[in-house]
Amino acid sequence: MNMSLVVLIVGLGLAFRISLGVWGASIMRNKGRPESFGWLFGIVLGVIGIAICSFWPRNATHPRQKDSGPLAWGKNTILTLAAVLLVPIWNVRWIALPPLAGITVMAMLVGAVLAAPREIIEGEVQRIMYIHVPVAVLQYLAFGITAFGSAVYLIRRDMRWDAIARGAATVGVMLTAFALLTGAIWGKPTWGVYWTWDARLTTTLILFLIYSGYLLARAVGGPNDEQAARYAAVVGLIGYLDVPLIHFSVDWWRTLHPQRIIFDSKPSLPGEMLLVLLLSFIGILFLMLWLTLLRGTTEYLVQRADRLRARLDQLERS
Amino acid sequence: MSPTATLLRKDLRLAWRDRSGWLSALAFATISILVYSFAFDLAAADIRPLLPGVLWTTFLFSGIFASSQSFQRESESGTFDAMLVAPVSPSAIYVGKLLSNLISLLLVELAMLILATILFDTPLLTGELVLVVFVGTVGYVSLATLLSILGNRTRTRAVLFPVLVLPLLVPLLIAAVQATGGALGQPLDSAPWLLLLVVFALWSSVGGALLFPVVAER
Repeated sequence: MNMSLVVLIVGLGLAFRISLGVWGASIMRNKGRPESFGWLFGIVLGVIGIAICSFWPRNATHPRQKDSGPLAWGKNTILTLAAVLLVPIWNVRWIALPPLAGITVMAMLVGAVLAAPREIIEGEVQRIMYIHVPVAVLQYLAFGITAFGSAVYLIRRDMRWDAIARGAATVGVMLTAFALLTGAIWGKPTWGVYWTWDARLTTTLILFLIYSGYLLARAVGGPNDEQAARYAAVVGLIGYLDVPLIHFSVDWWRTLHPQRIIFDSKPSLPGEMLLVLLLSFIGILFLMLWLTLLRGTTEYLVQRADRLRARLDQLERS
Repeated sequence: MSPTATLLRKDLRLAWRDRSGWLSALAFATISILVYSFAFDLAAADIRPLLPGVLWTTFLFSGIFASSQSFQRESESGTFDAMLVAPVSPSAIYVGKLLSNLISLLLVELAMLILATILFDTPLLTGELVLVVFVGTVGYVSLATLLSILGNRTRTRAVLFPVLVLPLLVPLLIAAVQATGGALGQPLDSAPWLLLLVVFALWSSVGGALLFPVVAER
């Protein structure tokens, strides 16, 4: 594929998306942004504090005990890098994430459709891999966020974590549905069947069912219903802990049946394909994070609106 | 006497006085085995490949049917709040309820094994098979008991409860069916199905005892 054309299209998309992102961010700013997640700033400031403390020159006469050696140096570097990277990213999340997601997803599409070489055996349908594989992998990250948010909610009882868990579960269910759909579209011409009881396929399907159940259980109560939130959080947590069991059982179960396709012998990808795949991983990651943030913030705002409405009713009655 | 044993005795006594709960589970299980034998024509061919699936779907559905109402009486009569107020650890309440559900379901399953032995002319009451049934039942009853507390308040519980529980029980179902097939003399692959059942039972009972206090509180 002509690389200059790719660069041109990606550049145009970039310019378009940045302008759109800046425009959207300015709207956000004018409307006033939602109450910021102060606790996260606290964590980040704590990380900075740790980093500063560990780099601060100590009294030379005082013997250094644990904070020396290459291991401590590496730890401090990682902490400082995290602090340096996390604070700006979190501060500009509404401005940075939409254009980042837009640029990378657009580059992913261009790369998958135009730039990547045509696969000899499977033909054009192989290009669906560039979106299918990242989506299928990153669903575990989305459900991991749900499980983590559920666990923190159960410990801290802060409804904001419930909002995060619910937002991530919505995005994760969307990703699993998308992975199943693209997998079926790819599977029919390649394997001859839409569906096969492979371990990965089955695990994805069961995850889709479990977290649809999570969303249903959470939707039983209102936005501020703590009992429904607790119950759903338990489902979100044990659903994720169930994943290794599901994977092992389906994996062993499948070995009983005759296999039409050999999944394990994966041909190593040529460099260009690998590059496009990497690009699409980054793109879907940004998209997933942005959507999760958007859904989580929406859930949080719905909770606040519901509380305000309840208070208003109370005031009107009294 | 420990609180768990007291609660277990209370539940068993109530189950004995009001026999509708476990009798309907028993009737449900019997009818579903009969429905399977009509649907798959189980009398005709060699039924051994089908039998583990028939048994375990019957066990799972009647277990979910029975345990979905395990806290209904408490929440209707207000006993549940009283139990929570009492100086007893909620985990003890959970274990008591789990044991009473387990006992009634094991009895139902024993009856089903005897019935299937008679109907299908296959010896089912072997030691290995009883072990598999016991471990599998511990696994699914502990998870179903934990999640059945949803029934305390929701109108949609009748639909929502199986929808929530069954996907979580997929690994147990696969392992239990395979292990039962192995116990019935089916050609078995080398996968450690009984170990998976034991891990699932431990996982769900420990998780249930740890998480029950969280879902139970008001």
